[in-house]
Amino acid sequence: MNEDRFFDRVRKEAASLRYEPRDAFVWTRLSARIRERIKRPADVSQMLARWLRPAAASFLMLAIAAGLTVVWVEHAQSPYAVETIASHPVEITVDGDTFSLTE
Amino acid sequence: MQAVLEGPGFGSLLSLGRLMFAVQSEDDRTRTEPDPIEQRAIAAVKNGDAGSYDYLVSKYMKRVVSIAWGIVRNADDAEDLAQEAFVKAYQTIERFKPGEPFGPWIYRIVTNLALDVIKHRQRFRHEELTDSHPAARGDRADLAAVSNELALRIDAAIESLPEMQRVVARLYLVEHFEHAEIAAMTDLSEGTVRSHLSLARAKLRERLADLHGGNNE
Repeated sequence: MNEDRFFDRVRKEAASLRYEPRDAFVWTRLSARIRERIKRPADVSQMLARWLRPAAASFLMLAIAAGLTVVWVEHAQSPYAVETIASHPVEITVDGDTFSLTE
Repeated sequence: MQAVLEGPGFGSLLSLGRLMFAVQSEDDRTRTEPDPIEQRAIAAVKNGDAGSYDYLVSKYMKRVVSIAWGIVRNADDAEDLAQEAFVKAYQTIERFKPGEPFGPWIYRIVTNLALDVIKHRQRFRHEELTDSHPAARGDRADLAAVSNELALRIDAAIESLPEMQRVVARLYLVEHFEHAEIAAMTDLSEGTVRSHLSLARAKLRERLADLHGGNNE
């Protein structure tokens, strides 16, 4: 017997090794269990998770966006602040003497 | 049995599903092309009609349990895995692409769940066992219905293979899936599936040498 025919024969014989339940009610029982599980109303933890997960994700995104905005604004404003101070000399008067703080 | 229902009502569809379940033929076990009733059932489930899921459960239950049993080799575990697979498929049905057959999807889910059980068992065995003899993998009691001596020898030969070779060989030889289908179910490449099968084939030829010799021709 050549190898392909041998393997085909093994495959043909092996088909009888598929699972057969010992009692005929297995399928009915399993279908009923699945039906019961998918139709069961969500419990409190599932309800909370359903609402809290998207809410938590939204808050996280907002927090990240706010953090990035603050960093960006601070970074963008820093040179401007230095320039503003440099272009507006500070003068301090003590006992009639005026001291000027310039660049 | 083949029938196509017209009209929107799903009550008759469910009855048909239950009927099909009872009379499922061998051909149904291997058929994976799109089925119009199945597509309507999926659409209905996506629209919130949980009752329409019965059709899908009825159509695929037997094969899903058989796949799981072939991998975990324990009837109770196989039934639990099938249940888990159907519930998981239901919970994620929104991700299911319209027009695709449901079979490959549910087969993939149950195969992955069963492979997880096997991995868990292997880890447990590794931690628990100190000797070098592997623990018994299978529950051959569930094979009581198989009276064919040759089939039982083939079963023993398949069970003696290393884990992934055994899983691939079982899906190919017993469940009659093709290489590409096995690849999709196990998340392996088709080349890897062919490689496992080639190694399994060599070992099976060795273990069933008397059949290969032509004595039974």
